[in-house]
Amino acid sequence: MGTKRMLLVAMMVGLLLCTPLMAQGQREAGGAGPVDIELWYGAAITEAGPPPSDWVGFQIIRDKLGINLKLTALPSNEADQDVKISAAAAADNLPDIFMVRREVWLRLVKQGMLAPVDDLYAKMPVRTALQYDADSIGFTTFEGVSYGLASPGSIAKNEGVLIRKDWLDKLGLKVPVTLDDYMQVMKAFTFNDPDGNGKHDTYGFGAFIEINNFEEGLGRRMDPFFGAFGVAGTWNMTKADFGLNVRKGKYYDAMAFIKRMADDGVVDPNWLAYKKDDFRAAWKQGRFGIMREQNAAFAATSNYAPFDKNFPNGEWIVIDPPKGPEGKQSVGVYTSQYRVYAISDRVTAEKKDAIARLLDWMSSKEGYYLLGWGVEGVNYTLDDGIPVAAGVPDPEYAFTGPKGQPYTQLRNMVFYNGEVELTSRYPTYITATSGKEMSALRVLVDMQSRPWTAAIASDTLPPPSTDLKRFYEQGVTEFITGRRALNKANWDAWVAEFDKLGGKAWEEEARSVAVANGLLR
Amino acid sequence: MDASVSVPSSGKTLVRRIQRHRAIYILLVIPITYFIIFKYIPIWNGQIAFKNFMPRQGVLGSAWIGFANFVEFFDSFYFWELLRNTVMYSVGKLLISVPLSIMLAIMLYECRITVLRKTVQTLAYLPHFLSWVIMYGILLGLLAPGDGLLNDIAKAFGGRGIDYLTNVRAFPWVVLLSDAWKEMGWGAIIFIAALMAIDPTLFEAAIVEGATAWQRVRYITLPSILPVIIMVVLLRLGTILSGGFNQLYMLYSPSVYSVGDIIDTWVFRGLQEGKFALATAVGLFKGLMGLFLLTFSNRMTRKVSGSSLY
Repeated sequence: MGTKRMLLVAMMVGLLLCTPLMAQGQREAGGAGPVDIELWYGAAITEAGPPPSDWVGFQIIRDKLGINLKLTALPSNEADQDVKISAAAAADNLPDIFMVRREVWLRLVKQGMLAPVDDLYAKMPVRTALQYDADSIGFTTFEGVSYGLASPGSIAKNEGVLIRKDWLDKLGLKVPVTLDDYMQVMKAFTFNDPDGNGKHDTYGFGAFIEINNFEEGLGRRMDPFFGAFGVAGTWNMTKADFGLNVRKGKYYDAMAFIKRMADDGVVDPNWLAYKKDDFRAAWKQGRFGIMREQNAAFAATSNYAPFDKNFPNGEWIVIDPPKGPEGKQSVGVYTSQYRVYAISDRVTAEKKDAIARLLDWMSSKEGYYLLGWGVEGVNYTLDDGIPVAAGVPDPEYAFTGPKGQPYTQLRNMVFYNGEVELTSRYPTYITATSGKEMSALRVLVDMQSRPWTAAIASDTLPPPSTDLKRFYEQGVTEFITGRRALNKANWDAWVAEFDKLGGKAWEEEARSVAVANGLLR
Repeated sequence: MDASVSVPSSGKTLVRRIQRHRAIYILLVIPITYFIIFKYIPIWNGQIAFKNFMPRQGVLGSAWIGFANFVEFFDSFYFWELLRNTVMYSVGKLLISVPLSIMLAIMLYECRITVLRKTVQTLAYLPHFLSWVIMYGILLGLLAPGDGLLNDIAKAFGGRGIDYLTNVRAFPWVVLLSDAWKEMGWGAIIFIAALMAIDPTLFEAAIVEGATAWQRVRYITLPSILPVIIMVVLLRLGTILSGGFNQLYMLYSPSVYSVGDIIDTWVFRGLQEGKFALATAVGLFKGLMGLFLLTFSNRMTRKVSGSSLY
C-alpha cells in the first residue's frame, strides 16, 4: 500500500512539474536558411482543399523570397474563425500572419498581441499602391497606430432583391414597387399557384436568419423591408440620427409589416429553420418568388445550373427594394468590406521584413496571376488579357475546375476587385438547359445600381454583450413568431427592457467610438 | 478486483510485476498520455478562472480577480434559464435514452431471428455515426413546417403544420427524441454486453419453472444488469451540466433561445468574444457540480441498493 501511495504522489508531483512547462507552448529556434512564415488564410473556395505540397508557388516563394511558407486554412464559418484565432491568442500561439475579423482584431490590439504595421506600407510599394489607401489604413488604425493590413474584401452592394419574372407574367402582375404592391404579389405567389402544378407549395418571400454585427435582429435577408422604413441594419450612421435602429419608432412599423407577412403566410414557413444552404436549395426548387440573394450565389455558372435544370422557363430579375410610406427604400446596408490580415507581435524584425517581401510579391504581376488563376497554359489561358478557363489542356485543372481550384485558394489575398478579376470571375455564359445568356457581373452591376444605405464602418462599432445580443435576436424573432404579442405597448416594454439590459449603454459606447473616429456622415 | 490484484509489498515487486505484465502497461500508456495531456495539464490552466486572463501576460502573469468570472456567470440575465435548460436536457435524455437503450438491448437479446436481430442492430447503431450537421438536414426534411414529411402527413389528414424546430413547445421534444433516436442503439451496446454475461442456466431454470418472457425479464434480466444501469446513470450524472452542445448548437435558432440555449452554447458565444477566463470558470463550476453529484449519488446508491460505481 505504501509503495502504491508513493507512486501516486510521485505521479502527482511529476504532473504538477511538467504541466507548466507543457502549457507554455513552443518557442521557435533561430537558424540560417529560409525564414519560416506561418500564414492562416481565408480560403477562396471553401469546398476545395488547400494548395498541394507540390504547388509551384511554394518553390518560387522559397527560391525568390527566402521564405518557407506554411499555410493553414481558417474555418469558413466566421464564428469558428473567431474561436480558432481567439484560442490561438489565449495560448499565446498566434501564427505569424493571419486573417482576422475586425472585432477579434480589436480585442487582440487591446491585449497587445499584434505588431504595428505602419512601417510595412513603404516596404511594399506595389501592394500598397493597389490595396491600401487612407481609408483602409484608417480601418486598422487604433490610437494612431496601424495594427493590420486591410485589403479590399468582398464587393460592396453585391446583393439584391430578385423576383420570379415568369411567375409575374403567368399571373399577369407587374413588378411591385411599394410595400403594398409587394404584399399583393407575395400573396399571389403564395395562393395563386404561380408554377401551375396545382399544389399549394409556393410562397411569396424566402429568407433565413443571417446575422452579423451590423445587420442584427432578423438579419440581412429581411433588410429590404426594414429599408422601406429607413431602419435597415443595426446602426443609423448619420450625424443627425445616429443610434441603434431597433430603438427607433420606425423599427416597430417595419416589424409590424414583417409580422403581417408571417401571419398572412406569404413567407416560406421554413425561413426561421433554414441555414444558408437550405435557403439556397429552396429557391432552386422553386419554393418562393422573391428573395434577397448575392449576385454570384444566384448567377454564377454552378449556382444557377440546378435552377436552370429544374425550371428551364424560369427567370429571376433584379428589382428595386420596396418603397415605404415615406418613399424610403434600401436593399440593406453596406460597409467598406475590408479583409484584415494581422501580424503577431511575436514576429521578429527579420520575419516582418519577410512578410513584407511576401505580400509585395503576391501583388506583383507574377504573384497576382499565380495566386489568382494558377499557371498559364495549365490552369488558365489569356483571352484579350483576361484569364479564362477555356483552352487549358485538362479542364479539370482549369482554375474553375475541381482539381484547379486548390491552386487559387490564396486569391483573396491578391484580388482587389479590379476589372480583370471581375471579368474573369464572372464570365458571360450560356446555361446548359435553357440556353439563356447569364452573367453574374451584369447582375452585380444591376444590384449595385439599386438603392442602398451607407453604413460605412458600422462593422467597427463595439459589439453587444452576449446576453444583450441574445435578448435582441430572441426578442425580435419572438415578436414575429407570435410568442410575444406585437403591439406598441409590448414593443415599448421590450425596448425598455433592452435598454435596462445594456442597450442604451451599448448605443452610447458606440456613439463615443463613432464620434472619436469621425465615422458619422 | 481486490481479490485478484494483491498489493505489492515493495518497489522491487512492483517493478517485477510491471515487467511481467509489460504488454498491458504499454497499452496503458496511451490512455494515460491522453489523460495527462487533455485532463491534467488543463487543471494547471484552470487557475485562469480566478484571473483576468490576458494572453500576453500568460497564465501565471495575469492578475487575480477572485470570483469575478463566476459572478459574471451567475449574474447573467439568463443564468437560471441556462441552468434549467441544461438540466432539463441532461435529465430528459437520461430518462428517455437510457430506458430506450435498455429496452432495445433486451429486445435484441431476446430476438431469436438472427437476420432480424443483426439488421435492427445495424440500423439502430447507424445514426450514432452521423454528425449533427447531417442529422439537422434529416430533421429538417422530416419536421420543416412547410414541406416536412410529418407535416405533410398531418396536412393530408386535415391537420395543421407545426413548426417543430422553431416552436418553443415542440423544440425540447425534438431535442430529446432526436437524441434518443441517434444514441439509443449505441447506448444499448453496454447493456447487451451485460446481458451476455448473465448465466443462461438461470433462464433455462425459469423456463422449466414456467416463467413467462416478461417474468424472466423482470426477475432475471433487469436485476442482473442493474449494476451496469447504475453505472451508466451515475456516469451520466457526472455530466449533468453538459446538455449536449453539438446537438443544441446545430438545432437551435434565436426563436427557440428560451428553451434551446444551454450553458455550453452560452459559453461558446462568449468564446467568440475571447472570454476564456469566463469559459474556464463555467467549466470549473460544471466539473465541481458533476463531481458532487457523482459522489453523492454513488453513496446514496450504495446505501439504497448495495451497488455502486466505486
